[in-house]
Amino acid sequence: MNKEKIAVLMGGRSLEREVSLKSGERVCQALEDLGYKVLPLDLSPTLVQTLRSERPDACYIALHGRYGEDGAIQELLEFLGVPYTGPGVVSSVLAWDKPLAKRLFAEHGIPTPAWVNLTADAFKQMGAASALDLVVESTGPFPLAVKPAKQGSALGLTRVDSADRLAEALLTALSYDDAAMIEKWVEGRMVAVSVFDGPEGPQPLPPVEISPKSGVFDFASMYTAGETDYFVPARLDEAVMSEVKKCAIAVHTLLECRDVSRVDMIVDSAGGLHVLECNTSPGMTETSLLPMAAQAVGLSLADVVEKLVSSALARSAGKNQ
Amino acid sequence: MLLYRLTFRVNEGLIIRTKDVREEGIISPATSTPRPIGGRGLFVSYIGVRAMGTSRVVFDKLQGRYARRMDEMRSSAVRDLFAAASRPDVISLSGGMPEVSRVPAHTAADAAYKAVAHQGARALQYGGSEGSIELRSIIIELMAETGVRLKTDDIVVTAGAQQALDLLGKIFLDPGDVVIAEGPTYLGALQAFSAYEPEIRCVPMDDCGMRMDLLEAELRALGPRGAKFIYTIPNFQNPGGVTLAADRRRRLLELSREYDIPIIEDDPYGRLRFEGGHIKPLRALDPEVIYLGTFSKIFAPGLRLGWVVAPHPVLAKLLIAKQAADLCGSAFAQTTAEVYFRGTRWRKVVQALTRVYAERRDAMLAALSEHFPKEARWTCPEGGFFVWVELPAFLDTGVMLAEAVERGVTFVPGDSFFPDGRGRNCMRLAFCYAEPERIEEGIRRLAEVLEDRLELYRAFMAAGALPAEEGAA
Repeated sequence: MNKEKIAVLMGGRSLEREVSLKSGERVCQALEDLGYKVLPLDLSPTLVQTLRSERPDACYIALHGRYGEDGAIQELLEFLGVPYTGPGVVSSVLAWDKPLAKRLFAEHGIPTPAWVNLTADAFKQMGAASALDLVVESTGPFPLAVKPAKQGSALGLTRVDSADRLAEALLTALSYDDAAMIEKWVEGRMVAVSVFDGPEGPQPLPPVEISPKSGVFDFASMYTAGETDYFVPARLDEAVMSEVKKCAIAVHTLLECRDVSRVDMIVDSAGGLHVLECNTSPGMTETSLLPMAAQAVGLSLADVVEKLVSSALARSAGKNQ
Repeated sequence: MLLYRLTFRVNEGLIIRTKDVREEGIISPATSTPRPIGGRGLFVSYIGVRAMGTSRVVFDKLQGRYARRMDEMRSSAVRDLFAAASRPDVISLSGGMPEVSRVPAHTAADAAYKAVAHQGARALQYGGSEGSIELRSIIIELMAETGVRLKTDDIVVTAGAQQALDLLGKIFLDPGDVVIAEGPTYLGALQAFSAYEPEIRCVPMDDCGMRMDLLEAELRALGPRGAKFIYTIPNFQNPGGVTLAADRRRRLLELSREYDIPIIEDDPYGRLRFEGGHIKPLRALDPEVIYLGTFSKIFAPGLRLGWVVAPHPVLAKLLIAKQAADLCGSAFAQTTAEVYFRGTRWRKVVQALTRVYAERRDAMLAALSEHFPKEARWTCPEGGFFVWVELPAFLDTGVMLAEAVERGVTFVPGDSFFPDGRGRNCMRLAFCYAEPERIEEGIRRLAEVLEDRLELYRAFMAAGALPAEEGAA
């Protein structure tokens, strides 16, 4: 076979480096099985030089977190003229900044839990800590979720059950990012919907239901086998299931995502939906949600990877015409 | 209804077993389509449970069947942060790794070669569980230099001192037994002991090591034989960096006798002294003391060679446990070490290493004085690998780690060295592995993180969102 050369970007400086390396390794294996020439690349100061000398036909972005999911690498690759997998610059920037994405959700009638976003500067220079008593007026009563405004893998996430734990949770979140988001904690089933987007338009994969034994889908629950139960498709009745899928497509479309995205939401006991976020570089590890959902419709990891790479290559072909 | 249980190996996409079980629910045909996907030998099963077409995804088909002691062992965000720190631009002040590059590679290679070429029959064969006579005679000489007189049968060679910790836990500890240790103490000891589910009580230290007044109070509360043993690292303690003073060593032995509680003396760093006079090990003053030594810091940790010195009845039990664990230590490693210690100028190497570590300690202490905020306090080790830093009580170093990694420096958060969540305002800094300039830069970066955190905490305290700063160290 004489297929194209694909650079797989992974690792990098992000706190999710290890997760990304696992995703990347699996993507490389899949691409090799598919007959592509594979160039695994860790993000490093020589990246651009390597890309210019190796001239890959496309980049597969297996990066997670900062620099990979925040639009930085996407913008760089566009400048270099290398097509890449996954959503573009604007979608990446919007989805990565959770409070910004939530603003858009709210403006476009996509239900999302009430929230407050406070920057480190607001605390350090403007005395925001003296207004923490007002938080519940915006979010509703405890429990609340406190998380970094921009971060993946639920790093820095705390569930806060009472006002006296709020400051501590904010300080934790602020170690991971320069802004912390306080969000209403919605009880219900946590559901992740992966969306594939190609010539036939965005299509939802079966929603995956996430049931962490600790009650909080934090980093440990995410990457420790046995800490979380997953159900595919989610245990929802048909009407709710259809709403969930529609909602995921609406989010994907609103943020102008392409190729793939994963929309995370909570379904409450009344069947109400609450969108938490949209991920533009879903994990591809052994315990990741996108491969799990794809598996449920008979798509292997190689099928998923092939689909994404083909889209990227098609974009390059389109541009050359 | 039916439950289809499909178990297949992900990387082979192979169905090992398909079994119908009576249950409610059914998997949709699509779910059961097996396809090869990448991965490494992880077993995944899809188990159908109620609702149309829904299946439960199980990544570990043995989940729920592991021993209770594994419950506490989970993947942690801290571990992942350290993975992020494997980037070359990150300065690691976290790992306690010896500078093995200073052990001349050709000498080590020569020792390994000679071990096989000249003594292959022994190096490649099983050996005695207690370790080779030759290596134990080398240990006798090493120990004699520190003031401990031994005979061959006083010693058992182990796979690093770490194995000795595990074996001692195995032979002494039942669930709920009390162990006394310094607080903070060696993380690896906490891990080794905790598998046997003891209650670990920590006695605080000051610049002269474990506080004997507080130990006595603890012992008085527990009563005679109230603990299974007292675990101590008297020289350049990990992570504290402090050394147990000579008068306290005598007091510790008195208390051990008075309350009839044995002492485990862990001494990995004793030979790495930068200044000050040698202080005799506890074992030199009392033959009842169980002493742990290691070749990791005077040769190489890759050999996994350590030793236990203990009263004969203890060694007898330990040998039974060791035989169950690994029959015998690596004869190849032991033979290699014999050749190395008999046939090379290894003392010169240890002296050179000690100078390297001393220089790095100086770099770290100077950088701490220059860059760290005035609220911070730290220990000044006379040897070993580590400095222990204490910050104002309101700071949580575990929470700082993410920010530190972002800025390109790592440390180990203090609570890792306590069994009970204490030490959150502390950190361990290792000076053993980074070059002096890198240490200086690392401390500078860490100081930036600290200033940033202090500013943030103060803003919270000023607003009354956190209790005021009374707990500052």
